[in-house]
Amino acid sequence: MLKKYLSSSIGKKQIVALTGLAMVLFLLAHLAGNLLIFKGADAYNAYAAALKEFGALLWVARLGLIAMFFIHFVFIFLLVKQNRQARGVQYSEPLHANTRSLSTKLMPVSGTILLAYIITHLMDFTFTHSNIANATVCGDYLGLYGLVVNHFSNPFGSLWYVIAMFAVGFHLTHAVQSVAQTFGWNNSKYTPFIKKTSVVVGIGIAAGFAAVPIYVFFLACGTSSCTLG
Amino acid sequence: MSNAAKKINLNLKVWRQKNAEDKGYFDVYKAEGIDQDASFLEMLDVVNEGLSKQGKDPIAFDHDCREGICGMCGAVVNGHAHGPKAKTTLCQLHMRTFSNGQTLVIEPFRSRALPVQKDLIVDRSAFDRVIASGGFISVRTGSVQDANNIPVEKKSADLAFDAASCIGCAACVAACPNASAMLFVSAKVSHLALLPQGQPERSRRVLGMVEQMDTEGFGNCSNEYQCEAACPKGISVQNIARMNRDYAHARFTSED
Ligand code: HEM
Ligand code: FES
Repeated sequence: MLKKYLSSSIGKKQIVALTGLAMVLFLLAHLAGNLLIFKGADAYNAYAAALKEFGALLWVARLGLIAMFFIHFVFIFLLVKQNRQARGVQYSEPLHANTRSLSTKLMPVSGTILLAYIITHLMDFTFTHSNIANATVCGDYLGLYGLVVNHFSNPFGSLWYVIAMFAVGFHLTHAVQSVAQTFGWNNSKYTPFIKKTSVVVGIGIAAGFAAVPIYVFFLACGTSSCTLG
Repeated sequence: MSNAAKKINLNLKVWRQKNAEDKGYFDVYKAEGIDQDASFLEMLDVVNEGLSKQGKDPIAFDHDCREGICGMCGAVVNGHAHGPKAKTTLCQLHMRTFSNGQTLVIEPFRSRALPVQKDLIVDRSAFDRVIASGGFISVRTGSVQDANNIPVEKKSADLAFDAASCIGCAACVAACPNASAMLFVSAKVSHLALLPQGQPERSRRVLGMVEQMDTEGFGNCSNEYQCEAACPKGISVQNIARMNRDYAHARFTSED
């Protein structure tokens, strides 16, 4: 039963939607934590420390998240591969150029940017621990907060992050309403609302996350950098 | 208003392919003095008459009713399944849609599951096999039941009727970036799932039809909704949603 479900087109799609939705929920929680940076170093570092308190539980959550990500990716890979094969001979003219929405068309592209981004993100913030060398701002050691500020003071660090957030925005603008359709929730009464929600969630998450590097780079750095902390 | 229709000249770039094994290529033709009141298929008739007179092989295309109800006709014109006009089959598309001197690129509906047989004709037997794997109800034929014996809610009757207006032309497959047949299959699943007569075989139907759809090698739906945009009958993607939930429900609850 499960095997047939997972090998069917609809089953695979629903697994992609389920894992995607789980990651969206994670992102919302993650965003709430990130925004504490606007409250200053103490609040931010306290939040990070509180997360660490969970110990083993934190690892359970992390492994769950990695599983979601991995499953999402594997099933997408299978779907996209089949989709590419299904056309056979390509059309010579672009297909229905004026009715395809950009975010929908770009799902594999925005997804691939996310894949690349997540790898660099883990290397920069999860596997790199804050130390005196990388987390000192104007002579003060500021822990994770300092690490983040220093990372985003670098234009390349900020730029790559903001590009990735465009990808998130595009991905989720299509994705959130798509999940409803994939699970069979589409009716004239609710769908317009679901579509608006999707745009709000997509842009909201992207803008919320991007606010951090933009704040650090333009407001916290430069001349006033030592007013931070 | 004058009755004399305007005549236009067009440049055609048409896909020619001898048979299913042939690789195929584009050839160019001139369509001259085409009456703007002619249908697209009549325009091709005119071109074919010229080709026949020159002893050349006419462009093969499928058609039957020429009034938009049989689902036989269809081609992709300048990147649009059934041409650029919404909710219109190729046979009902009129040449006033186009302007003098325009170039039209005419290609067959493309998908691995519905292979080209010749020129613009595709083999849609995959659709027949999908229907045969559940798109019916098993009833005793013979004496007719009393009218109104089975109550049907008005809303459901309307939705079922909308779904049943699918003519199986395959424009949805042609227009889908993934060559998915979800709109066709979901319309066929839905029009029976919405009616009391469809209930006894509801689970078996959706499981069977989706499995056959996958076996035929159609792509997967990625909710691009190009099928809905291309459908000459305006079939809604709400049918796809209905099939998605029916499928999951049937997979996990029925013993079929
Ligand atoms: C490995 C990186 C990723 C890739 C390559 C990727 C790719 C894709 C693609 C191609 C789709 C469209 C699937 C289809 O409609 O057939 C999709 C859907 C989706 N993705 Fe991703 N994605 C990635 C990461 C993410 C992340 C990090 C999230 C969440 C934050 C996410 C959330 C979603 C959601 C919610 C959907 C909608 C599922 C549906 O259509 O029902 N994806 N992804
Ligand atoms: S020929 Fe019958 S629908 Fe076009």
